[in-house]
Amino acid sequence: MTRVSLAEKLVAIIRRDVLTTVRYRNGFLLSAVGVLAEVVAFRYLARAIGPAFRPEGVDYFPFLIVGSGFYTFLITGVQAFLSTVQEAQQTGTLEVLLTTATPAPVLIFLSAFSAFAGKLVNLALFLVVGLLLFRVPLLHPDLVGVGLIFALSLAVAVAMGVFAAALQIAVQKGSAVIWVLGSVWFLTGTLFPVGTLPAPLRWAAWWIPVTHSLTGMRGALLLGKSTRELAPEILWLSVAVLVLIPASLAFFAWVLRRGRREGTLSAY
Amino acid sequence: MNAVVFNSVSKRFRHSPALFNWLGRERGGVTEALQRVSLQVPKGEALVLLGPNGSGKTTTLKLISTMLIPDEGEVVIGGADTRGEGGSVRRKVGFAVANERSFFPRLTARENLEFFAVLEDVAKEERRSRVDEKLGLTGLADAADTLVMKFSSGMYQRLGVARALLKNPEVLLLDEPTRSLDPGSAMRFWPFVRHLLWGGTTVVLATHNFQEAAAVGDRIAVLRRGELRSEREFRRGPGVDRPKSDEVEAFYFQVSGDSEDIPVFETAK
Repeated sequence: MTRVSLAEKLVAIIRRDVLTTVRYRNGFLLSAVGVLAEVVAFRYLARAIGPAFRPEGVDYFPFLIVGSGFYTFLITGVQAFLSTVQEAQQTGTLEVLLTTATPAPVLIFLSAFSAFAGKLVNLALFLVVGLLLFRVPLLHPDLVGVGLIFALSLAVAVAMGVFAAALQIAVQKGSAVIWVLGSVWFLTGTLFPVGTLPAPLRWAAWWIPVTHSLTGMRGALLLGKSTRELAPEILWLSVAVLVLIPASLAFFAWVLRRGRREGTLSAY
Repeated sequence: MNAVVFNSVSKRFRHSPALFNWLGRERGGVTEALQRVSLQVPKGEALVLLGPNGSGKTTTLKLISTMLIPDEGEVVIGGADTRGEGGSVRRKVGFAVANERSFFPRLTARENLEFFAVLEDVAKEERRSRVDEKLGLTGLADAADTLVMKFSSGMYQRLGVARALLKNPEVLLLDEPTRSLDPGSAMRFWPFVRHLLWGGTTVVLATHNFQEAAAVGDRIAVLRRGELRSEREFRRGPGVDRPKSDEVEAFYFQVSGDSEDIPVFETAK
């Protein structure tokens, strides 16, 4: 019988990740400097393009900040989780973790969640510096809407992370997921609105979860849309969560069984 | 009652060469890691696995721990089949792996053990004392708050044993547990393992060290090329403290054929 709750396990995993991150002192500082540099670059890019360009009815700078900040958060979260899995394979920690009393799918799901929690600091810095320091007006953001879009987007990204981990164990190439996410960035409305794409690409963009995350987040944060107005994005992301989370965990469980059969859990 | 049962267990590893193998010479085919191995370890006894490199010792331990599942036959731990009841088996088995680096390098020894204690479902109220106890038992109390990246090989090895003991396992697996320990520490480690047996823990230990095998084993199994060549019980009891390592060595060379076709190191002429 389980004597330790899931919440307690999640806290332990987050604590491990936070301690590891802050003890890479220089890496932590460099990543903060990188965030600041990116914000400043976006500020000048928006200024160079001029005030006439107002994608989706908002100034270009906040459009960039929310789009790029959130997209980077999702990608680097998957990347951070994948690095954790790769490192654990190389050191042999993965095999040990998978023989603990905690079921492997639970462990991998919580670890993915923790990787994103770590990137939350970067996202917060990005938004705080970008939106507050440069005084971008927020139209009374609907906090419930922001929270819902954020939570659903996070759940989708965690599923992507679990897929990446499973691919890493199955074929030692979890980076394929990063590659796919990285190659479709121009479809998701990160730097320019999806509406400017030709119809076939707009259709393709509709199938990418990040597109809906960015549209929803911009609507909630910058346009002050209500939860009701955000319903299409919330509904789309909810369906994605219901499909992707069980699918990713089932895929991971299958990969794990295969790894135990073939002895490839620690192959990297 | 048997704590560990192998019923005609076979394990194969397939080698699939990469695409464009003509660029290199990666080997294909199949390695027969274990072939129809049957053995039992009664509760509270220690089985020592001896055998040359690649004989199947670590594979045997991994099959018990559920890191691997058998291709044929069954592995039953405390009544639970590793194939269908892996979760139940994992609650019973602690594994001190040979890989010394299997920790989080930027956490201290205590933080590492606390983390694994949570995953092993050690209740919050007893976690701290359990971790302290295992650190003390393995001689790491003074290094508890040192980042493990600063540990020596021997300290890693002790920490691996401490981690395996965290859940107070019914079955303890030790893969070359004293390989990196200094001789004095190794000699103190063996009575410690014997002490665990008196508490009812079952131990399966893989080693190349005859002295270790003699000091720990109630029975010794010799593996070679995945086959169980022979298994012998070394009696202990009043007046018989432990077999001599010479006796173990003689048994090993008698049954293992280790010298028949293993490449030897030659001295320079």
